[in-house]
Formats: sequence, C-alpha cells, structure tokens
Amino acid sequence: MRNLRLSSESGRIIIWLLVSACFGILVTGCTSAKLTRARDQFYAGKPAEAAGTLGAPEDYARRDRLLYFMEKGVILHEAGAYAESVQALLDAAEFIVQEEILSVSREGTSLVTSERITVYRGEYAERLFIHSYLMMNYLLLDQPDDAYVEARRALQVLAEYPDACSGDYFTRGLIAHCFEAVGEINGAYIEYRKLAGDMPDPAPVLPKVYQLARQLGFDDDAARYADMLPEAERQVLSSPAEAVMFISQGKGPVKEPRNIVLPPSIRFSFVQYRERGSRYFPPGVESTRGRLRASGVTTDVAAVLKTSLNVRAARIMVKETSRATAKEVISNQFEDPMAEALVRIAFFLMEEPDTRGWETLPGYLTLTRVPLDRGVHALTVTDAYGTAISLSPVGVSHKRKYFYFSVRLGDR
Amino acid sequence: MTKKCLPLYAFIFFSLAGISLLAGCRATTRDISPDETIHYDEDYDFSDKRAIVNDLVESLTTRPPLGANDRRPILIDYGIANRTTEHIGTDGIMDDIRTAVIHSGRARFVNKQQRDSIQQETQYQYGGSVSPQTRITMARQVGAEYMITGTLRSIEKKQPDQVRLKKRTLKYYSLTLELTSIESGLIEWTDNVEIVREASKPIIGW
Repeated sequence: MRNLRLSSESGRIIIWLLVSACFGILVTGCTSAKLTRARDQFYAGKPAEAAGTLGAPEDYARRDRLLYFMEKGVILHEAGAYAESVQALLDAAEFIVQEEILSVSREGTSLVTSERITVYRGEYAERLFIHSYLMMNYLLLDQPDDAYVEARRALQVLAEYPDACSGDYFTRGLIAHCFEAVGEINGAYIEYRKLAGDMPDPAPVLPKVYQLARQLGFDDDAARYADMLPEAERQVLSSPAEAVMFISQGKGPVKEPRNIVLPPSIRFSFVQYRERGSRYFPPGVESTRGRLRASGVTTDVAAVLKTSLNVRAARIMVKETSRATAKEVISNQFEDPMAEALVRIAFFLMEEPDTRGWETLPGYLTLTRVPLDRGVHALTVTDAYGTAISLSPVGVSHKRKYFYFSVRLGDR
Repeated sequence: MTKKCLPLYAFIFFSLAGISLLAGCRATTRDISPDETIHYDEDYDFSDKRAIVNDLVESLTTRPPLGANDRRPILIDYGIANRTTEHIGTDGIMDDIRTAVIHSGRARFVNKQQRDSIQQETQYQYGGSVSPQTRITMARQVGAEYMITGTLRSIEKKQPDQVRLKKRTLKYYSLTLELTSIESGLIEWTDNVEIVREASKPIIGW
C-alpha cells in the first residue's frame, strides 16, 4: 500500500505552488478586467470613457504596462486627443527599449510557472504599429518633422523584423509619405519603390513612384513606371494639394488559447490569433463636386499579426517544451504519490497560455490619398453600409500641400 | 554542528547583502556644471548641444562673410530640420547659436518668432490709447540680408544578432549649418560638426 501522507518539506513546496497558481490567476484577472472594460467601452463608441477606465500606468503591473500604453494610444487617437495619444505611444516605445534587457529571474520563474508572469514586450508587428500611430498623430498635429523621426524608427523595426512586418503596407506607405512631407524625396522614392516591388498589386503607389522619379531626374525609371500607368493617372499628378486619410475598419484579431494535453499531466499551451469577422470594404471618397479618384494602400492587420506570431513560433515552442520538461522533472522528484499528484495539478493550473495582445487595433488600416484642386472641398468617406462620414471642409491654397484626416469605419 | 550553523550563516549573509543593497538605493542629487561632459547612453544630449554650438559659432563668426566685416549684418533664422531618429528640440540649438552670435558682436537677428506680437503691439500703439509722442514709427523694421538654416542628421548602426552578453550601438550625428544670401540666393558660408559615439548595453539582467 502506498503512503499517502505528505512530508513537511513536500507540503511546503506544494502549498507554495498552489498559492502561486491562485495568486497568478487572481492578479492576471484584476489587470485584465480593467483592460477588458476599456476595450468594451471603446468598441461601444465611447473612447473618452474607455480612456478614463484605463486609469494610470501605476495601476498595472510592469508585465502588463505595455498593453496599457498601446490600448491608451489607440483609444486617445480615436477620441481625437492626438497629443495625449502621442505621449502614451512614446511611453510604449520607451518601455520596449527598457525591456530589451532579458530578466533572468522572471524568465527563470516563467519556466516553472507560466508565460504570463513575464513582461509583455509586444509582438514584432505591434511594435511597428506603435510607430504607425505615432506617425499618424504627428501628421494630424501638423508636426511633420516628428512624424519623420517616427518613420525612421519604424524603418529600424522593419529592418530588425523584416519577415514579421513587411506585409504592413499601410505603415510602409506612411513611412514613405513622412519622408515626402519633409521634402526628403529621395528617401520617399526609395520607400515607395520598395513598396511597389513588394505589394501584390502596386497600382496604388505607382503614381507616386512615377512622380518622384520625374522630380529626381531618374528618367529611365520614370519612363518604366509611366508605361505601367494609365494616361488619366499621369495627369492627376499635377494637383496642388492632397487629402491624406488614415482609414481604420473593423476590429483587429484577438489571441485565443490552445492546449495540448498529454498523459500524465503535461499541458502545452499556446495561442493563435482569431479574427473577429471584419471584412474589408474599399472606402469611397466623395466631395461636393462628385466622387474623387482615391488611391489606397491597405494593411490586413490580422494577416500581419498572424505572420508576426508565426515568426516567433519556433522560439515559443522551444520555451514551451523546456517548461513542460522542467515541470515534469520537478513532479517526478516527489516519491510521495499524493505530493506528486498535487504538484502536477498545481503545474497544470499554472500553465496559462499568454493571450495578451493589442486588441483595439482595427481589422484594416488604409492610407488613402486624394488629389485636390484649388478651392474649398467638403469631403465625405463612405463605409460598407453606405453611411457617409463628413470631414471638416478643406480650403486648398498655395500655403499647404497635405490635409490629414483620421477616420474609423464600422464594426465598433 | 556545521549543518546546524548553516541557516545562521545564510541569514547573516543575506541580511548584510540586503543592507548594502538598500544603502546603494538611497536617492541622491548633485549640481553639474553645464560645461561638464556627461553621456548616459549613445543618444544626443546637452553636452553634444554645447559642443556643436561652440564649434559652429566659432566658424560662423571668424570666417567670411560675418568674420570679414564689422557692420554687423542682419540675419534671420529659419530653424534646424531634425532628420534624426530622436525627437530633438532643434529650436534649442538655434537659440544657443543666435545667443552666441549676438554675444560675439558679429551680427544681428530679426525676431521672426515675435512677428505677430510685434504686429499686435504696433496696432495697439496706433489704436488710440498710446500718446503719439511715445509710439513707434511705422515701416522702420529692418530686412534680413542672410538666412541661417541647418539640418541635424543621424545614422545608427546596431551590432547584429549573435550570442553575447552586451549589445553595442554606433551612433553618428552631424549638424550642417548654412548662411544664405537672401538677395543672391548664394550659400555664403557653411560648416558642419560631427559626433560619433559607441555605447553598449547588457542583454541580460537580474
């Protein structure tokens, strides 16, 4: 007959493990409750309330603070508080730099507990989206020099994680535009040309590549791109101003837990992105003078985030396997079957998949450019249901070349 | 005997370690001379600003056209474009350059930033509240002869990914300043200052 009594040492370890498991679950719940409520309010069309619900950064444990900064950045952006959104997103970018140093204690503890106790450092694509929103905010605040700084930072992220981020055409188009907005047309040309080379259909950026090639005196390139452009597109290039619109549609994906359970009690937990049923609808832009010729570069946020997670997949699997092995080795140390069973239960409960992610991101981001003639334009953007969203009127004169708008369509 | 004493030794060791750690965490403040060169990391800081301003103002005020005549030409600044990867307030650099040039006695500046305020004050003086004897004379503002502009650039290079404990970053800054004749459109003077810095950061911490 097996001895079911626990030794005092085993008992202490088990109690510690069970308390850790319960504490971990409780603490995670407290933080995510606030984030969940703020996200719900945001999607109910109440961004100002959502920003209030989020509270202060000190309300969040360091492991979840990046989520706070990122969610706050988007929520404030949608509320039209661009300067405040800038501050939240700059804090997010700074936080990521600080967290470049890998914590031995946290990583070590996570090997026998759960990934959720580590500091959330953002998916690679999320790191790029931080700079996308900063670029948008700075342009909307009429600070093109600062938008340029963010464009350069975004390029650094793209260079560091090319496989994870290169499908983010919206951000890449925005980077090129930021170069253009400060007069760095050579840099803009390079970025537009790279983008045209990578997009499945380069039609939306071809007019820009052609225009800049001509401006820079690259006649061979200009001739090549001219052949790819319809005559009508070439004529539009001489417009004195442009409306540049950042159009968001739908809801971004969320991470969903997945588990594989092997006997006796080995639990592999991992996450997958689940789309929230958002469908892309090419936004229409109209003015009082009729429908306008608009060209748009779109990012499928879900596709980019999925790719980004896949790029990390090998690392995640290695860590998950190490964690399962470590837990199995520890469990096998107990001679007492009761102790072993309790330890296994504790480890099983602690194995929580890390479903943390930036959930206020839209499903699609489109950079739409509309050439404008001199005069006053009252612009409207039409969504999938035919609802027209009116933008503030634009007066085109010689003083200003670009007019920026941020529009969120549908699926709130 | 030894086994029995072990917890006591451990207690003493960890207590001492804890006390010394807490002592090191004490908050402190100290004054630093603005002339002192201090860099916490590879990024642009106030020490760089001072070095850049000193070098460029020396060149601007000793070389033609400003260094070649004593009639104190009129300048206007059109700011320094920030083309780096950091949010640097380049207005501060231009403020320091303007201050140093004026102190050198080699040139004067039109106050472009206060144009609207000057206009507002002039309108006020001619609005009926100010006595005609004390109000300023209209249309006596001075036109600038030269425009001063600049560009701050940076290039950053990070060590590629490999197995190591520290990551090194190389950063290059360059500020180019230009003095352009508004009448002829010619660049009459230009110079630049470069700073190259390497910094290393640990990859693993406690």
